Formats: sequence, C-alpha cells, structure tokens
Amino acid sequence: MSKIVKLSQENWSDLLTGMAKDYHIYAPIQYSNQQDYELLNEYNIKDIVYNHPKPATPLKTFLLPIKQNLVKDNRFKPSVILGIPACDLSAVNILSEIYLDKDFKDSAYEHRLENYIFIGSDCYSMQEHCHCTSYGFKPYPTENADIVLSRLDSTVFLQSLTPKGDKLIGLIESKVALVKALEEEINQINDKRERITHQLIEKNKDIPDYTKTGELIKQAKEEIWKRYADTCVSCGACATICPTCTCFLLIDRPGFEKVRQLDACQLPAFAHVAAGEDPLHELHVRFKNRYMCKYVWKPEKFDSVACTGCGRCIEACIGKINKNELFVELNRED
Amino acid sequence: MTASRNIYQCIKAEITEVIDESPTIKSFVLRPEREFEFKTGQFVELTLDGFGEAPFTPSSSPLEKEEIQITVMRAGYVTEKIHQLKPGVIMGIRGPYGRGYPLDKFFDKEVLVLGGGCGFAPLRSLLYNLKAEEDKIKKLVFCYGSKTPAECIYKPYINELRQVKKFEVYRSVDRPDETWTEEVGVVTNLLDKIAINVDDSVAVVCGPPVMMKFGTLKLLEMGYPEDNIYLSMEKNMSCGLGKCGHCMMGKYFVCKDGPVFSYDEVKDQPDIWQ
Repeated sequence: MSKIVKLSQENWSDLLTGMAKDYHIYAPIQYSNQQDYELLNEYNIKDIVYNHPKPATPLKTFLLPIKQNLVKDNRFKPSVILGIPACDLSAVNILSEIYLDKDFKDSAYEHRLENYIFIGSDCYSMQEHCHCTSYGFKPYPTENADIVLSRLDSTVFLQSLTPKGDKLIGLIESKVALVKALEEEINQINDKRERITHQLIEKNKDIPDYTKTGELIKQAKEEIWKRYADTCVSCGACATICPTCTCFLLIDRPGFEKVRQLDACQLPAFAHVAAGEDPLHELHVRFKNRYMCKYVWKPEKFDSVACTGCGRCIEACIGKINKNELFVELNRED
Repeated sequence: MTASRNIYQCIKAEITEVIDESPTIKSFVLRPEREFEFKTGQFVELTLDGFGEAPFTPSSSPLEKEEIQITVMRAGYVTEKIHQLKPGVIMGIRGPYGRGYPLDKFFDKEVLVLGGGCGFAPLRSLLYNLKAEEDKIKKLVFCYGSKTPAECIYKPYINELRQVKKFEVYRSVDRPDETWTEEVGVVTNLLDKIAINVDDSVAVVCGPPVMMKFGTLKLLEMGYPEDNIYLSMEKNMSCGLGKCGHCMMGKYFVCKDGPVFSYDEVKDQPDIWQ
C-alpha cells in the first residue's frame, strides 16, 4: 500500500487550474439537480463536486463512446478523469473481460484504457438508489483507480494505487509540496468509509445479494416479467446508462470503415434476423433478457460482476420501474 | 490505435462470378486480396462498402484458399442489395469467426446430414470437406429438403455428390412439379427411408428454424444422443467477436461460442429455435 499524501484544497484547485491548460481533465460538476463530468477549465474548477455519489454519466462512456469509428486512427493524448465513484471503477472489470478478450482484443478500447488516468474518489453520502454493498462492492475505490482522492474539511488526500498514479503524483509533487497524511487523518477517512458502508448495508438490507440474484431471476414467473414490463416503453435508457451494459451496433461507413454505436437489448429488433425470427420480439421477454444477462448468463460466463448496484437504471427509467423492488419481491416470494 | 491487428478491419475481395441458385438465392464467388482460410462451419462477415454487413457461412470447400464462395438468400436489407451486385465489385470480408464442425468427431462414423433450404450452404462446405476425407468416414447420408424443385439449390453439385462412393443423397420437396422424380413431403420424412446405424453415427442439422426444430426432435426420437447432434445456429451475428451482444443465446455468444453447437450444449438455452 503506497503512502497517502495531502495538500490543501486551495493548492489542489490552483494545481488543477494550471494542469487544465495542458491536459484534458474531466471532473463531476454540480448542476441544478445533478452532477456530471465536464472538461475542466479555469472557470468550472470551483464547481467540482468531491466525494459525492455517482455522476449522471457512467465511466464506460469514456472507454466506449456512444459512437466511435473503429477503423480510423483514434489516438488521443493522455487525459485524467477525476472523481470516479467506486461502482463505476469496478464496472471496468467486466468491460475489460469483454473488450480485452484474448481472442479478439479491441484496440480502440485498449488505447483508451491505457491513456486515461483514473482518479477515483470515496462516496461520503449516498443517493436514493445506491446499493453497491448489496453486490459486494465498497463505496470507496479498491480497484482500477490510479489514484484515490479523499477529503477532510479543506484538505485533499491522494493515494496512488498504480505506476500511472505514481507518475502523476510525482508530477504534482514537482509543482506543489505534498505532505504525508497523519495517522489520525487516515483513521478519520477510514471512519467515514465505514460509516457510509454501514449506512448503505442498513438501507439495502432487504435487497438480495449477488449470490442470490441469479437463482431468483431464473425462477421468476412470466407474470412478474409482464407486470414489471407493463410500463416499459423500450427506450433502452436502463442499458444505455448502465456502467456494465456494453452491447453495440456496428455501422458501415464508406472505405470499409466500421463505427461502433452503443446499443441496447431493450430496443425493438435488437435480435431480429433477416429471415424474420426475433427471439426478443415481445416486450416482456426483452425486459427479462436484460436481467437474465446481468444476473444469470454473465455470471456463468465471466468472472466479473455485471451489476455494480449504482442504481442509475432506476433513476433513468421513465416507466418508474425499480429493479430493487423487483428483487425484494422475488426474495420475499422465495 | 496500437500496432496490433484491428479486429474490425475487412480484407477486400472481388466478386469474380455470380451464380443463380434459385429465384431467391445466389452464390457469389469472391477472390480475396490474400489467401483466406476457414474451417468448415465457421462464418464470415461480408461487407458491402458503406452500406452494411451480414454474416454468412461459406459454401465452398475450406481446402480452397484463393477463392471463397458465399451463398446469399435475399431476405433483408443487406442481402437485397448484395443480390444486385455484379462481377468486379469489391466487397469486404472479416473473419473467419466462431467454432465450425468438429470433424474429428465425425471420423470413423456414419454421418447423417440433414439440410433445408439455404441451410445447404454451410453443409456444402462440410460435404466438400468430408468428400476430401472420404476414407476417414464410414458413410454419409445427406437428406435435403426444400419447398419446391425450383428452390432446390446447387443442382449441378447434387450429381457430383451422387458420384461419391460413400455418399447417399436423398431430396424431398413440399410442392413437386411435373419434372420432380424424387421424394415429396417434409425433409424429416426422408429419415424414415434411410439406412443408418444410429449407435455409430453423428448427425448434422442446418436449415430454417422450424426445420431445425423438427429435424432435431426426429433425430432424438431415432435414438441419437443429444451430444451427437450438431446444429448450426442462426442468430443476429453482428460483430462476430463475442462483444456486440446481438447474437446472445442464453450464456452463449453464438458468433464466438458457435455457430455450431451440439444439441446438449444449447437445449436449455432460451429461444433456440427462434
């Protein structure tokens, strides 16, 4: 475990102002009713939201943009993403299992993963539908972050977890003095982490954990799917906003170029074949398909968890479908 | 991009010949810009530049490296356009993808091949392959069905097959015309007329979903073990790389884990016949 270093909030903001001139840095910015990643400039650095639960957009959109030409040269210079919640960082595991698969490595994804520096941050509060702990995750980064950022009052704490993180901290150190965090401060950070972890566990105590979800989904009767899908309008928002849903459409462009565009199994005709068959033709079957994929098939096929409990699918649903309510109901019936 | 191979990049291939197989089916002979190898049962993604892409299992012999033949049924947006193409057009090919027929499991056995409609396309590649390895199989019985005599594809090739010593070929159509001299009825009826030692045999099925379903059920009834029936599944294979998700059939990416599966591998997955 590398040491934790600290600097004042003022020095940190000045540092970001300087670095934003030379580097692309994205961080969550507060809007009226939500926060989302923005490219930093000298004006919006003061509006960065620290240690707040998830931004509106999942991290996956940086690694798998909504639309990307996969044949053209996609190189871009290293960029920093700041303030990533742990749930989104953990989602990178399954993205990489799929996109860095040893048989077919997606070089566009790989290039992005290599060229982003991830600064994760602890969540010191939770949103209504946050339930990362139900699926075995912590509300603070434990994996896939290059640096973890925590805060106490007006002090910023940084801990590197990777060589990329070491390099960035070295660069920061060349511009501003960094001091080793005191044990007491580290204890305070850990206390905050424990407190929010317990709050999340308590709030979500009725939600079955990931070891049970697959079996519950497998056993759910058709009536349940029809009832929950009743207000679904097949907009695909749940999948689009999901940090682990990665299905895409391949679009052709002249010059034998291929464009990858984010797609969703919830959209009509997703599985339609030219001869006319479409196993996902019926809406409730499509609806069920996403649950089967996340809680039954992906766990059978991959080592990584396919739902991080971020709750975005619940917030994004215009049909007000709440998957946690579905699981609580299935668990009760069980 | 890194220097490694770009998995989305096509190789170019020129159409050298277009063969009319039936009113709705054409075969396209393509000459790729470099040698192209595939195993029988694997598929390729064929790109019409700037327009679209669709998956096809080559219908030519996998032993032929310089040209590849792809048989296309006019069924959708991309195939409609492909049918209008003439020799000289440059297309794109990605692949080969997926898991083909496990030939080693066919050796020293009697092989029953059941095909319907355009499902003959992948099977022709298999038949070419097994013809070249005739000494390694005990015998091969090919049962093929189509709706009408006009829709029977590869007519000249059927005669060629009938010359192969260890091959037996049976055909049936649902609606015969005055020229038809072979069987009439659904293709599974042919299975009642053939002589095959089920205990020493493997079966291969490829065709429209309804034919695959009833063909498989009939084979099970005949006593074929579930793991000796091989199915070539048709799903919406878009990327071919096990990523885009369109061809998911339960836990399988049909494009990568298939398209050839034994029946016992897929029998518990949802909607396998759709």
